[in-house]
Amino acid sequence: MQNTKILNSAIFWLSQKRWLIIATIVGALFYLMPTPEGLTAEGHYILVIVVIAIFLIIFEPIPLPAIAFIVLILEVLFSIASPNEAAKSFFSDAVFFIMGSLMLAVAIISQGLDKRLALGIIRLTGNKTWKIVFGFIGISAILSSFIGEHTVTAMMLPVGLTLLRFTNADPKQLKRLTPLLLFSIAYGSAMGSIGTPSGGGRNVIMLDYWREFGIANITYLKWMSYAYPMLLIEIPLATAILWFTFRPKHKLMDTAIRKLKLEVAKSGKMTGREMSAIFIFILVFLGWVFLSPKIGLGVVALIGVVLYLVFGLIHWDDLNRNTNWGVILLFGAAISMGLQMKDTGAALWIAENAISTLERITPNIDILRWFISVFLTGILTNLLSNAATVAVIGPIVLNMGGDPIIIGFSTAIASAFAYLTVVASPTCMIIHSSGLVKSKDYMRAGWKMFLMSATVLFFISKIW
Amino acid sequence: MQYPQLLNSTIYWLTQKRWLLFAFIVALALFLLPTPSGLSLSGYRILIIVIIALTLIITESLPLPGIAFIIIILEVYFGIGDANSIARSFMNDAVFFIMGSLMLAVAIVRQGWDKRIALGIIKLTGNKTHRVAFGFAAISAVLASFVGEHTVAAIMLPIALTLIKYTSKDRKKVRRLSAYLLFSIAYGSLIGSVGTPSGGGRNVILIHYWQEFGMPQISYLEWMKFAYPLILIQIPILSWILWKNFPPEKTVLDTGIRRLKTKVANSNQITTKQITALIIFFMVFLGWVFLSETVGLGIIALTGVVMYLITGCVTWDDLHKHVNWGVILLFGATISMGAQINHTGAAEWLANNVIKFGGELMTSVPIFTDGLVILLTTFLANVLSSSATVAVLGPITLNLPGDSTHIGLVMAISSAFGYFTAVAAPACTIIYASGLVKARDFLKAGWKIGLISIILLIIYANTYWAIIN
Amino acid sequence: MKILIAISSKEYSKPTLQVGMWAAKAFNASVTIAYVGQKISAFGTSDVGLAQESIAKWGIERPGVQVLEWAFNYLAENKYITPETAKAGFQRNTLVDRGKNRVELHLKGNYCEGVDLILRRGDIIPELRNEVAQNGYDITIIGRSKKRRMAHDLVQYIDSSIYIARDLAPPEGHRLLQAVDDSKGTAKALVYGSQVAKAFKMPVDVLTVSKRESFGKGYMGAHKKALRAFEKVGIKPVSILKVGDPVSEVIKTATAKHLIVMGVSHLNPIVKFFKGSKPLKVINQCNSPVLIVK
Repeated sequence: MQNTKILNSAIFWLSQKRWLIIATIVGALFYLMPTPEGLTAEGHYILVIVVIAIFLIIFEPIPLPAIAFIVLILEVLFSIASPNEAAKSFFSDAVFFIMGSLMLAVAIISQGLDKRLALGIIRLTGNKTWKIVFGFIGISAILSSFIGEHTVTAMMLPVGLTLLRFTNADPKQLKRLTPLLLFSIAYGSAMGSIGTPSGGGRNVIMLDYWREFGIANITYLKWMSYAYPMLLIEIPLATAILWFTFRPKHKLMDTAIRKLKLEVAKSGKMTGREMSAIFIFILVFLGWVFLSPKIGLGVVALIGVVLYLVFGLIHWDDLNRNTNWGVILLFGAAISMGLQMKDTGAALWIAENAISTLERITPNIDILRWFISVFLTGILTNLLSNAATVAVIGPIVLNMGGDPIIIGFSTAIASAFAYLTVVASPTCMIIHSSGLVKSKDYMRAGWKMFLMSATVLFFISKIW
Repeated sequence: MQYPQLLNSTIYWLTQKRWLLFAFIVALALFLLPTPSGLSLSGYRILIIVIIALTLIITESLPLPGIAFIIIILEVYFGIGDANSIARSFMNDAVFFIMGSLMLAVAIVRQGWDKRIALGIIKLTGNKTHRVAFGFAAISAVLASFVGEHTVAAIMLPIALTLIKYTSKDRKKVRRLSAYLLFSIAYGSLIGSVGTPSGGGRNVILIHYWQEFGMPQISYLEWMKFAYPLILIQIPILSWILWKNFPPEKTVLDTGIRRLKTKVANSNQITTKQITALIIFFMVFLGWVFLSETVGLGIIALTGVVMYLITGCVTWDDLHKHVNWGVILLFGATISMGAQINHTGAAEWLANNVIKFGGELMTSVPIFTDGLVILLTTFLANVLSSSATVAVLGPITLNLPGDSTHIGLVMAISSAFGYFTAVAAPACTIIYASGLVKARDFLKAGWKIGLISIILLIIYANTYWAIIN
Repeated sequence: MKILIAISSKEYSKPTLQVGMWAAKAFNASVTIAYVGQKISAFGTSDVGLAQESIAKWGIERPGVQVLEWAFNYLAENKYITPETAKAGFQRNTLVDRGKNRVELHLKGNYCEGVDLILRRGDIIPELRNEVAQNGYDITIIGRSKKRRMAHDLVQYIDSSIYIARDLAPPEGHRLLQAVDDSKGTAKALVYGSQVAKAFKMPVDVLTVSKRESFGKGYMGAHKKALRAFEKVGIKPVSILKVGDPVSEVIKTATAKHLIVMGVSHLNPIVKFFKGSKPLKVINQCNSPVLIVK
C-alpha cells in the first residue's frame, strides 16, 4: 500500500514535470552532438543552455528563479565561466533598472492615483464610446512610454472595469464592449512601452548591449526621436482596428461616465502624498533624460525607489511582497546568457548561418535581416516574455551585419508585439486575470495588430 | 489649519529621519574637506560612503535595501565606477551563497525536522537540566557549522519553547531556565557557525576576498581543520558560564521532558518529502566539501535550492515570502563596497595608518595584531552584523602585515562573537523575538563569554595553528 | 466525514453542487466548496496581484469570488447554512487568506457541520491533489469534464473517493448499481454503496461480471456478500450475473437513472497510468454518474 502510494506520487511528479524531463533530454542530446564547424566548444554549450532555458521558460514546469539558477549552474558546470564571472555577467545596469522599475510600479500604484487618472481621461474624451477607446489607448500608450506597461495597465484596469460595471451590471450584456475596453488598455500600454528607454526593461537591455558591444551610446532623447513617431502613428490605427473588430452595441456611455464622475468626485482633493509621489516621479523622469548617460538608467530608477522609501510613501514590506524577485533573477540569467553567447561566438555563428540559409530564398539581405529580427522577435516574444526575448535574440541580431542601430531598434520594438497570447506580456496577463476576456479574443484582435505594427515598423525603419 | 499640519508632519519626518540627515551632513562636510595625503580621491570618497553606510545600518533609519541602493547610487555618483561595473561588483559567488543559504534555510525549517531533533536530544541527554542545555548548545553548534546559525536557531527555538511551556505554565517561575536554554541555542549556534565555510555568509565573503585579492586559499576541509577544534573547546565553557549565570529554577526537567516525548511521539512517520529533503541537503554538503573549489560554494547552494524547488519540497511562494531580499541586496552592496575599498587603495591607506599607529609592536609581536583585529571585529560585529563586518573590515585587515590566512580566519571567527546585543546576529534576534529574554540579558551573559572567547582565540590561533602549519 | 466539492462556473456546476450538498446533508458531513481559478504565469504574478489590489479598492471583486458568491446564494436559498449566516450575506472582506495559495470563508451549516468556501489558483489537478493531501477528504465531488485526460488524472492522482457528477440527478426513481468482483476495492466500495442506498432509500442492483462462462468461487462469494450487505441496511437488492467483458457489461446494464458505485482498481500505478483502469473506462464511456471508492 505504502509502496503504491509512493509510486503514484512519483508518477504524478513525473507527469507534472514532463517538460523539465523533455528539456533535459533535448539538452543532453544537443550536448552529445558533435560541435558544429565554426563554433567553439563553449559556444556549443551555451547554445545547449539557451535551448534548455527556452523550453523551461515557455512551459514553466519549475518556478522562474529555478530556471535562472539552472542557467547559472550550467554556465559554471560547462566551464563557460567561473562562478564569479557568471555572477558578474548576471548583474548589470539593466537588471538594476528592471528591479527599480518593478519597485517604482509598486510605489506608484499604491498611491491610488488611478482615480485622478480616470477623471482626467473622462474630461478629455467625453461620452462617445469611440472617443473613450481612443482616449484609453492614447493615455495608456503615452503613460506607459514613461513609466512602463505593467504599471499603467494595473492603474487603468480598475477604471475600465468600473466603467463597464456602470454601463451594465451583467457582463454577458457587454460581450463586445468588454474586450474592446480591456484590449485598448492592454494593447495601448504594450504599444507605448517602446516610446522611451524607461518604457520597458527590454529597451534598457538593448541599450546595454549596444554599449557593451561598443556599437553606440544612445541617449534617452535620441531613443525617443527614433521610436516616438511610430507610437503616435500606431495609436489611431490601433483604435480603428479594435473598433472594427469588436463593434460594440453601446455607442454612447453617458450614464456610466456620469456615475464614474460621481464615484471619483468622492475621493476629494489631491493630498500631499499624491503630489509628492508625482513630484518624485517627475524627478526620476528628469534624471532619466539628463543624468542617465552618465550614471545609467538603472541607478536613476534606484534613486527613485530610495526617495519613495525615504519619504515614507511606500513601505519596504510592500515592496518586498509585491516585487517579483523571480523575474528579476530570470532576466539577470537571460542577460548573462546573452553576453556569454556573444563572448563565445555562438551569437555570430547563429547569425551567419541564419543569413546564409535564408539567402537562398531571397537575395535581398537587408529585407532578410529585417525579417529575421522582426518576425523572430515577434514570435518569441509571444511565447517567452519580451525582456527575455531581447536578452537572448539581441546578441544574434546585432551580429547579423547591417546597421546595428536600426536592427536593434527593430528588435526592441518588435518585442512589444506581444498581442497574441495571454502569457505574452504582463499587460495581457493582467487583463486576462479579470476573467472577462478569453484567450481566443487575443488571437482575434491580436493578429491584425501584429500585422499593422509590423507594417508600420517596416515603413518607419525605411524612412525615418 | 493646513499649514501648521504640514509643518508638523515635516517636523515629525525630520525627527524620524534625523540619522539619515546627520549621515548626509557629515558626508557632505567630509566631501568638502581636502583629501588626506597618500589617499586617492576615489579612495577618500569610498571611505565617505563607508561612513554613511555604517551610520545608516547601525541606526536603521532606512530599510536595509534602501541603504544598499544608497551605496550603489553614491558609488556611481562619485565616479568610482560606471553603472555597469558597479552592478557587476555587486554580484559574485558570495552573494549567491548568501541568497542560496537563506533559501535553503526556509526549505530546511519547513520540513519539520524540529520534532526529530527534539527526540534525538532528549535521547542523548536524559532529564538533568544542565545536560539538556549542553545538548542544546552542542547540537546547535554542530548543525550551525554546516547549515548556518539562522537556520539552526529557527529550528531549535520551538523545541526549547515547548520544553519551557511544559515545565511550567507560569513564565515568571522559569525565567532563568528560559534564558539558560535560549542562550544555549543562540550562543551555541553562533560558536558553531565558524566551523566550516558554509556556516555563515561571512566565511564565504572572506573566501571571496582571498580569491579577489590573489591570496592563498584554503579548501572546505582545511577550513574545518583550522576552525573546528575551537568549537569543541568553546562549547563546554559556554555551557558552564551559562549555568553559572542563569542558575535554573529546576535542576531536573522530568515532567517537561516526559510531555515533550509524548508530543513528539505523536507526530507522524518520516515522510517521503523529509527523506528527499535530507538526501538533497546531504548532496549539497558533499558538493561543498568536494566541488566548492571548482564551482564555488554559492553555485552549489543554488543547485540545492533548484533541487528543492524541482522536487516540490519547498514552493517558490514560500521562498519569496520568507527570504529577506533586503538582506541579500545589502550584502551585495557591502561586498561591492569592500571590493572598491581595496580597489581604490583606501584599504591599504587605512592599513598603513593602523600600522603607523601600532608602531613597532605591530611587526614584532604578532599577538598584538591579532588582538587588534579581534577587538575591532568583535565591536563592529555587535553593532552591524557579522557579514557586513567582514565585508567592510576584510579588505583592511587583509592588507595588514602577516599571514593573510591567519588574519582572515581570526577575523572570521571573531566576527561570530556577537554576544552582546540582540541585533548582533540573526540567532540572537530570533531568541530575542520570543520575548523570553531581555536585552540586558545579552550583555549580562555575553561579556563573560566574549572575554573568554577572545582570550581563547588569541591563544588558540598562536599555538594550534602554528603547530598544524 | 469530509466532502470536497469542486465547482467551476455558475452554468455548469449546479448539479455538482446539488449532489454534493445532498450527500453532505445525508451523512452530516463537513463540506468544502472549492473554486480553482486560472493559473497565472510566474512572469505576471506580482503585476496581476498589484492590479487586483487596486481593483479591490474600487469595489470590484476578483473573478473566483463571484462564483463563490453564487455558491453562497445557493446554500442560503436551500437552507444549507444557518439563517443568521445567510442573513449576514456574502461578505467579501471576511475571506481569509491562509497562504499556500488558499483563500477561504467559513460558514455555519444547518444540516452539516460546516461549510467552507475556498478559492485556489492554478491547474485544477495539482490544486485538488494538494487540497486533498492537506485536509484529508473522504470524497471529492466534481462535474464531468470534456477533457478525457481529466478523468484519468482524477482517478490516478486524487487520494480520496471520487464522485463524477452528471446532469441533475434526484435520488427519487434512481437506482444504485453496485459493481462487484473479488478485489479489495470492492469491499470498501460496498460500505459506501450500502450507506448511500440507505441514506437515499435507493433500490439497488448488484452486478457481477465474469469473463468466463462459469462463476468462480471468489466471484460468487463476493456477490453474495454484497447482497447480504444491502439486506443488512434493509434494502432488497436485485442480483444480476453476467458473462463478458466487465467494462462493457457495466455500461450496458447502466441506464440513465443509475448511479454506479465501484471500487478503485488495485493495479500497479504505472500500468494504470498507461493502460487506464476499469473505473476509468466506465467513467469515460458511460453517461451515468460514477462513484469510485478509494
